[in-house]
Amino acid sequence: MNRRLVEGAQRAGLAVAASAAWPEPGDGPPPALAGFVHSAFNPLVAAVSGRCIERHRESAPTRTATTAVVLVSAVGDAASAAHVAGAVDHGGRVGPLFFFQSVPNAVAGHVAARWSLTGPVVCVGDTAAGLDVARLLLADGDADEALLVELRHDTAGRETATAVVVAEQGGLA
Amino acid sequence: MTARRGTEDVVLTGAAALSAFGRGMTALAAGLDAGRPAFGPVERFDVSGRRVGVAAATPGAPVLAAELADLLDEACDEAKLSTAQRAAAPLFLATHGDPELARVPVADRLRHGSTAFAVALAVAAGLGGAVRAYTTACVAASTAIADAAALVARGEVDRIVVAGAYLVEPDQFALFDAGRALAVDGQVRPFSAGRRGLLLGDGGGAFVVESAAAARERGAPVLARLAGWGRAGDAYHPCQPHPEGRGMARAIAAALERAGVAPEAVGYVNAHGSGTPQSDTAEAAALYAVFGGHAAEVPVSSTKALHGQALEASGVLELAVTVHALSTGRLPVNAGYTGPDDGCRLNLVLEPRTGDPGYALTLNAAFGGANTALLVGAA
Repeated sequence: MNRRLVEGAQRAGLAVAASAAWPEPGDGPPPALAGFVHSAFNPLVAAVSGRCIERHRESAPTRTATTAVVLVSAVGDAASAAHVAGAVDHGGRVGPLFFFQSVPNAVAGHVAARWSLTGPVVCVGDTAAGLDVARLLLADGDADEALLVELRHDTAGRETATAVVVAEQGGLA
Repeated sequence: MTARRGTEDVVLTGAAALSAFGRGMTALAAGLDAGRPAFGPVERFDVSGRRVGVAAATPGAPVLAAELADLLDEACDEAKLSTAQRAAAPLFLATHGDPELARVPVADRLRHGSTAFAVALAVAAGLGGAVRAYTTACVAASTAIADAAALVARGEVDRIVVAGAYLVEPDQFALFDAGRALAVDGQVRPFSAGRRGLLLGDGGGAFVVESAAAARERGAPVLARLAGWGRAGDAYHPCQPHPEGRGMARAIAAALERAGVAPEAVGYVNAHGSGTPQSDTAEAAALYAVFGGHAAEVPVSSTKALHGQALEASGVLELAVTVHALSTGRLPVNAGYTGPDDGCRLNLVLEPRTGDPGYALTLNAAFGGANTALLVGAA
């Protein structure tokens, strides 16, 4: 269910400590996320991140590490951006919550705060970039491990999410 | 956690800038030296329904892709990159995304992704290396610079071209207005009592980040050294900084550690200084956490009070400002100041000042608790 991102991380020379997807069998829509509205983008990031971090911590409950959050998305929260553009073009009201979710950083910051992930927060536009950013943050010592989350969109605008926790080879021992 | 870096020295060999003061480093320098804020009524689009109608914008209706193309050409030309060297150079682009994305049909959105936008720019500029797009809000460009420096220092590549630009447009303006983030008094007052928020501004920049050895070998001019870099998160809130500036403090400490430079060697700080109450206080706390007593002595200014908040492009525009301060010794003013704030007891540059900073630090922070620090040394 998350083979693509796991194999990509392995090809990048990274050790994969945990992985998750949303949806997985039996999943419905992701739970609503307080403070975020309109689209599935932010709830999906939060849901898949929580699932992946919980699996990681179940397997390494006493580990303390500085964890980066790297969020990959080609178009970000395009549905919310389109909603705002429509309001601007037609004189509608732009709700204040759209300001707070206007960049992918916001939900990445939510994930970081929820799970005490104190490493860098980085958002990029494609998987290869995300994997290389994660690799570099680990090599540079700004993080011990990285939560890499990818939001994928299909041509109908539907979104799915995958996530891995990665570390340098030998870094999970 | 120990900040590491590769063994190659990292330098900047080409620079270009765009701001409301005009196109080019000369226009930026003149605006900084004059010390007059570039804010004025927004005429580019209708702001009649907004609480605030002010921004720092260049005249007319500039086009983002065209401005980025000019910035890339200017920086590559200054670095004296040959066609072959351009063809081998990666492009790291800091961007909010393709400006058309929000208004195309759903089925076309994937063709308007941020990486696709960056690839089109790279092709047009003759940059043939790997392309990536950073969309990390107000630390997008500074993160791209840090990552480029890290890759060059590790010897993975000789040079990387980093660029970013933001032009004031109606969607982000409406969002910032709706979020009550814009300063209703029409001025940005970083670290000052009575500060009311930020104002948006056109901004952009491009840099050639290169290994010192490669630059030396081809006889390229060196504008400045990128001595250190750091990035760290607050893990505190989706859009508020940690009140003690914890992530920013760790980013600053990592930049100093990579450079092997003591806090006392830093002679100027170009602060993030957004002009919002919480962010400025958190940043001042971070400086005290790392600098100790030197935080009260080192000259600090946020030039957002002059050129505005350039969002994803802030890191490259403010790196250009920092290089200007370092190379000329003319420290830009922290405009808009009305009086001290107990939470921001810094040595603000309130009048034009000259000096030899030695090392200068440029800081950025963003939603998500993302923080970066870049430490720049004289060439």
